[in-house]
Amino acid sequence: MNLAVASHPGFLSPTGVEITFVLVGLITLGAALVTVTTKQLVHAALWLVVALGGLAVEYLLLTAEFIAWVQVLIYVGSVVVLLLFGLMMTKAPIGRSPDADSDNRWTALAVAVLAAATLVWVVVDAFRSTWVSLGGAAQGSTEVTGEFLFRQWVLPFEALSVLLLAALVGAIVLSRRDSRER
Amino acid sequence: MNPTLDMVLRAVGVLVVFMVLPLTVGQAEHKVMAHMQGRLGPMYAGGFHGWAQLVADGVKFVQKEDIVPTGADRRVFQLAPVVALLPYLVVLIAIPVGPHGFVGATVDAGLFFVLAMMGVGVLGSLMAGWASANKFSLLGALRSAAQLMAYELPMLLAAASVAMAAGTVSLPGLLSAFHWWWIPWQLVGGLVFFTAGLAELQRPPFDMPVADSEIIFGAYTEYTGLRFALFLLAEYAGIVVLCALTSVLYLGGWHGPWSGSVGWLWTLVKTGLLAFVVIWLRVSYPRLREDQLQKFAWTVLIPLSLLQIALTGIVKVVIS
Amino acid sequence: MSPIPGHGLAKGLAVTLRTMTRRTVTQQYPETLPELPPRSRGVIGLFEENCTVCMLCARECPDWCIYIDSHKETTPAAAPGGRERSRNVLDRFAIDFSLCMYCGICIEVCPFDALFWSPEFEYAETDIRELTHERDTLREWMWTVPPPPALDPAAEEPKELAAARKSVDKLAAEARVAVQAPPAPAAQPASAAQPAKGATAATDANTKDATDPKDATAAKDATEPKDDKGPKDDKGGERP
Repeated sequence: MNLAVASHPGFLSPTGVEITFVLVGLITLGAALVTVTTKQLVHAALWLVVALGGLAVEYLLLTAEFIAWVQVLIYVGSVVVLLLFGLMMTKAPIGRSPDADSDNRWTALAVAVLAAATLVWVVVDAFRSTWVSLGGAAQGSTEVTGEFLFRQWVLPFEALSVLLLAALVGAIVLSRRDSRER
Repeated sequence: MNPTLDMVLRAVGVLVVFMVLPLTVGQAEHKVMAHMQGRLGPMYAGGFHGWAQLVADGVKFVQKEDIVPTGADRRVFQLAPVVALLPYLVVLIAIPVGPHGFVGATVDAGLFFVLAMMGVGVLGSLMAGWASANKFSLLGALRSAAQLMAYELPMLLAAASVAMAAGTVSLPGLLSAFHWWWIPWQLVGGLVFFTAGLAELQRPPFDMPVADSEIIFGAYTEYTGLRFALFLLAEYAGIVVLCALTSVLYLGGWHGPWSGSVGWLWTLVKTGLLAFVVIWLRVSYPRLREDQLQKFAWTVLIPLSLLQIALTGIVKVVIS
Repeated sequence: MSPIPGHGLAKGLAVTLRTMTRRTVTQQYPETLPELPPRSRGVIGLFEENCTVCMLCARECPDWCIYIDSHKETTPAAAPGGRERSRNVLDRFAIDFSLCMYCGICIEVCPFDALFWSPEFEYAETDIRELTHERDTLREWMWTVPPPPALDPAAEEPKELAAARKSVDKLAAEARVAVQAPPAPAAQPASAAQPAKGATAATDANTKDATDPKDATAAKDATEPKDDKGPKDDKGGERP
């Protein structure tokens, strides 16, 4: 939050950015809650779009522009579309599905709270003693992200990309072999 | 200049472009398609060669009753056209038209922004297709979702190749790094990007999601009046965005003779030529099947875009 | 299969591009009227001066869409002591174009060239009953009948011309025989004149037939001789 205040000389006042951040956060949280509680299946997917979009806006407000657009591109543009595709395949009805309730909702809630607690704990523990200087360039810009990625985290990045490339080549090979056998 | 006033002016400019260019493309499609089929096309509206045909169409659409089917999911049904149209309007803001900051708004990760927003537009037809409570609409929505799996990856890979070449993902930055020999260098990537973009816009020969001879009008079957017009507008706005983006990424945007003074004209000319190609392809080719598109994307487009990335990397290493 | 991949795709693009550069085939109909060839089956015109109320057209019409009313008139004898003549006068001639199937049998069958095809086609009505057109409208349509097209350069001669030529040739041959058989030289100028006279008579008789049966203008020209001829033909046998 403070980060955004320091590096965002926009016409919104610093408090304005903070207020926006909190409001968008509330909307995101609300959308996420509706996503898991609504009994209309496709509506749940659409509320998920709102939640993911809200998250992207939060990234944007934190000047992590690159992450924000990747969030939109991957999650809203592709993952949710796949999700909707799957839902439509299952003949998701319009209106409430009475059997959408799950018996183990309390278990799910417990798992969710546990996961959230773990994440918060990990993040707090990892950055406990890290201080961010507010004077420099925006820490979330594409350039900074790129430098971080390719200077400090090259090895994991390359490992991931090789993995993805292997998956990609595998998909191509599969589709080719399929056509030849026919 | 006052920054607020400057921003308002830019927003108004983008809005004007958004209102005018898609209609121009639509009119051009009427006329070009007609002449390619040995016809004249609209000749009456507006007097001179039917120039006001789309205005007349718009007036007609406004007058029509706005019907929501009884079984439809009302909210989603009504929201869908806006979701389909708005991303393209937002995308236009980030496309540089001319040199020296002639752009709606400079977005740092412009390339990602543009591609992300274009991907969101598909949600509109998915929502429309599901909420219509019509099996043809649902089929159309399923087809557009399936189509997304085919075009999204090659499009991103091809765009990544340009970003690699320029060393930036900002669209104006990309253009300032442009040299004429990029055109042959990125030719394959450009073709892949344009083809995948056609699939994204659901334009022939990839118009399976709206295939009017099979599933009436796909996801838009139940729409009437203004909401239907919004979907059509989204399609033409999509053409403008795709063509502008292709010209910026692969054809050098405002680069050309006397680009200092008439750079914006070069962008317009390149966009217009590409839009003509879009129309031309529609007239010339029959519709593919969904599985043919999948196969085409996975066995042709993705390998080609991977090759392009490899080529870009090699050349980049050699010249640096 | 083409050697270069994408050859067929390029061909398709070339076809549409070529079509775009050519003139369109669209006719801007209400602004520019189509140029229809003669004998186009637009509407049937009645040249009522030629009609003898023989009723052939009405009888041959497959869907009975021609209505003819007439009465007989007697004209007093031309010469004292002669018989008075009777002739048919047309009272009503109407074609119901809501029934007509444009087969053209009436036109083919008319022995006196009173019916013609006109390319006129703009006679739509909002009420089906108004599609029955009376003789005055049908007569008006005669003015829209174009002259028949010229024959092909190498075409066969029209039957009428061929018949006329045949009779002329026959007369000429007879005359030649007549010239050769009697060796008297004095008879030659007279007999030479005779075939010539016969030939002109033959062509006179065929002026009407020689022209195309559907030639309106020619038919109009031929009206007077035919009107003379008509009663003559009728009365030929009765004449004492």
